[in-house]
Amino acid sequence: MIRCKTSKEISGMGHSMKRKEDDRFLQGKGNYVDDIQLPGMLHMDIVRSPYAYAKIKSINTEAALAVPGVIAVVTGKDLEQYNLHWMPTLMSDTQMVLPTDTVMYQSQEVAAVIATDRYAARDGREAVMVEYEPMKAVVDPYKALEPDAPVLRSDKEGKTDNHIWHWEVGDKDATEKLFNEADVVVKEQMHIPRIHVSSIETCGCVADYDKVENHLTMYMTTQAPHAIRTVIALVAGHVGLTEEKVRVISPDIGGGFGGKVPVYPGYVIAIAVSFLVGKPVKWVEDRSENLQADSFARDYHITAEMAGTKEGKILGTRFKILADHGYTDAAANPSKFPTGLFSIGTGSYDYGTAYMEADAVYTNKPPGGVAYRCSFRVTEAVHAIERITDRFAMEVGKDPAQLRMENFIKKEDFPWKSPTGWEYDSGDYHAGLKLAMDTVEYDKLRVEQAEKRKNGELMGIGISTFTEIVGAGPSKDFDILGIKMFDSAEIRVHPTGKAIARFGTKSQGQGHETTYAQIIAEELGIPAAHIQIEEGDTDTAPYGLGTYASRSTPTAGAAAAVAARKLRDKAKKIAAYLLEVSEEDLEWEPGKFFVKGAPEKVKTIQELVFAAYTNHPQGMEAGFEATHYYDPPNLTFPSGAYICVVDIDKETFEIKVRRFVAIDDCGNIINPMIVQGQVHGGLTQGLAPAMYEELIYDEDGNILNGTLMDYLVPTAVESPSWETGHTVTPSPHHPIGAKGVGESPTVGAPPAIANAIVDALSPYGITHMDIPITPYKIWKTLKAKGVIE
Amino acid sequence: MKTTISKQFTVEEPIAKVWDHLSSPEKIVVCVPGASLTETIDELNYKGEVMLKFGPIKAKYSGKITFEELDNDHYKMRLNGKGLDSKGKGSADMIMNGVLTENGAHTDVDCTMQVTITGMLAQFGSRLINDVTDTVFDQFVQNFKDQLAGKEVDNTLSAGSMIKGMFGRK
Repeated sequence: MIRCKTSKEISGMGHSMKRKEDDRFLQGKGNYVDDIQLPGMLHMDIVRSPYAYAKIKSINTEAALAVPGVIAVVTGKDLEQYNLHWMPTLMSDTQMVLPTDTVMYQSQEVAAVIATDRYAARDGREAVMVEYEPMKAVVDPYKALEPDAPVLRSDKEGKTDNHIWHWEVGDKDATEKLFNEADVVVKEQMHIPRIHVSSIETCGCVADYDKVENHLTMYMTTQAPHAIRTVIALVAGHVGLTEEKVRVISPDIGGGFGGKVPVYPGYVIAIAVSFLVGKPVKWVEDRSENLQADSFARDYHITAEMAGTKEGKILGTRFKILADHGYTDAAANPSKFPTGLFSIGTGSYDYGTAYMEADAVYTNKPPGGVAYRCSFRVTEAVHAIERITDRFAMEVGKDPAQLRMENFIKKEDFPWKSPTGWEYDSGDYHAGLKLAMDTVEYDKLRVEQAEKRKNGELMGIGISTFTEIVGAGPSKDFDILGIKMFDSAEIRVHPTGKAIARFGTKSQGQGHETTYAQIIAEELGIPAAHIQIEEGDTDTAPYGLGTYASRSTPTAGAAAAVAARKLRDKAKKIAAYLLEVSEEDLEWEPGKFFVKGAPEKVKTIQELVFAAYTNHPQGMEAGFEATHYYDPPNLTFPSGAYICVVDIDKETFEIKVRRFVAIDDCGNIINPMIVQGQVHGGLTQGLAPAMYEELIYDEDGNILNGTLMDYLVPTAVESPSWETGHTVTPSPHHPIGAKGVGESPTVGAPPAIANAIVDALSPYGITHMDIPITPYKIWKTLKAKGVIE
Repeated sequence: MKTTISKQFTVEEPIAKVWDHLSSPEKIVVCVPGASLTETIDELNYKGEVMLKFGPIKAKYSGKITFEELDNDHYKMRLNGKGLDSKGKGSADMIMNGVLTENGAHTDVDCTMQVTITGMLAQFGSRLINDVTDTVFDQFVQNFKDQLAGKEVDNTLSAGSMIKGMFGRK
């Protein structure tokens, strides 16, 4: 199905080229932050709060300073002298770096211990005595909004409640009218649980300040090095660290998934200490610190409603959200989108009326709200629409696949304007679902299910047909802290026809070193093997906003294609000069220009590049380099049709995913093998919240599963055998027709699994269950329904 | 992190003797594994310490012990112990309700222990805390019986004994 325009030797788009980066990763030769060792480097460890909400009465550092190797203990009061005890969040909220008087969540940073080695730092941490006065924590977001709830952010002038912001989109009155008049209205209350990205590598940095040069080199685990450099300069410019004096380097990153977008207090403390002592300072979190304190994802309480006809025509949707942001709004959304791109939640269906509103609230939990492998709250939106669509199908007594087929936006209706204002670029939802149904043999499964139900067996089939929205984004709407969300590529081709290309993005395992090379190979005909890709060093790479939200291919990938086309135009001029013909007489074939009708008169791209340095036409600029900053005209809208089949043990309620078919449409595919790998990983990270993962807090704000013993990250053991496939509907506005795929499976899998489980239990009157759905939860639900004793 | 455990047991002693032990701080506190009295404020209020150790985690809670109820007529008592970990790792709060009922020459003891833990220990979750509390409670009951029988009470609590207690039962 995938047709390649280039030979295997060139390995442009569509070739399953092996990942270039894997040579070093498979040999243990990756270079991560914790691999960096600098002369005289100090180590930092962090004292954290055992309470969710408490006053700090005193911090006694005497015993810690007596530990051999400990050279300093830094507190909020120390940082306050330099006005570095607080920092802005990406959402223009404020966050403590270290507290001066109050802690706001369990595991919050309280003090930092600096020592000559990591063990001494940890021993010092244990010796710091902090005296607290615990206060009653606010944990439940609904209670946080009650009038008598304590005002948590008393540090913000004039703050009288725990409400952060209100957001809404769509036509409220028209939606209300529609819901009042509709034949059928269904409604469910859902919680999309607070979860954690749990990347294999935790967060960390080495801050290296050179007093003589007044220059900071910051090695850190960040998905957006350029934006971080700008933020450092904005925050620390007043102490002399202006932007030209700051170099941020993201070395190899062991998984990011959105958790490495925010700035954590540890980074700032390390910089401050390095700045003060003039020595490099390393900070690397341990596993529990990462899980307990770093940015969470999700935690949306959603009231979802759908209105339609008795015949099963969807007419409208209404969603009301309560967003629990914890202590501060430290999400990483584009500035104008406090709920991210939740407004994609009208889904893949053809209707014109919708209204969504959201309120955000402070609680005594860690801050965050990051886009965990999801383009800014799309997972929450897709879960709501796909669950409520199934609920609607159940209400009108229609097969959920048939109901979806009847309501899909038709292929010929694209570009399609959604009731919340998006323009979907392209899609063929019918083809995707049909392929998924054929692959899984849907009709046979329904027959089998009917048979099994007669015997009281629990078998369920769940569908999710989602539309994603990725590639943020067009500069008219999208910025982070005012910086527009374009991205960039710079290609330099050396005289011998080999190239280096640099980008504003940063791979954390996505395979950029291979896929970007393939895009350039596709456009320029230089073998991908001859193109070296570099990212993550702000001193060398062009400016860009980084890698998250499936934006790299839609933005930087497009920039690579456009920059390569600029070079191909130059090559054409050189070819015309060398072959003594006009440009119009030339024809391109991957890797060479030849004269129309005379294919023996030919110049290869390598010959043309060499000529650019040795024999370029008079008046033409020498060299062979191009840069492009790509500002996308629209977002891209990948889609997918997922079908999950589950069998539930009727005694133990153990859930077994028997089959999972994932048909993705990410437009044109750059490397099918990498896409498949992305989909496998994404599906597993979708299985996680559906059946296993949730950060659980008790009423005092204690995290009850703060280690990987209790927070259940699925492994290969829990993962079913994923069956993947694709349809190809290119994006009409993207230079290479690609859409992005990294997040689709994480977004699409949870509702497919939840729908399958609810389908299995539907004969017992169950219409909804919140994820994660565990055997215990099923047991409790069936017991509450009186189905079992 | 809150956990509540109730236990009923019978001791072969008259109610007056049992009540004398249950209502006397010097006698009852030493039956709590790891606990000791450090100061008497008045006859209902005391200062004390509780050492807990399991696996790599050591916690030493120091705080106040208060008899919130001491009903000599109905043999009912409620004891509240509140403590902060000396290293700032968290806090613990324990309410113990005890009721005695005469059962011929013997005495039925009905005890409920409600433990609330905050901080580092709470992060282990109910999986560990319930078992630990249960084990501590069992040990308390044994100590109480031993004391009544005039035996020496060893109220030190170690990870070893706890793990044996937790796994030995099953």
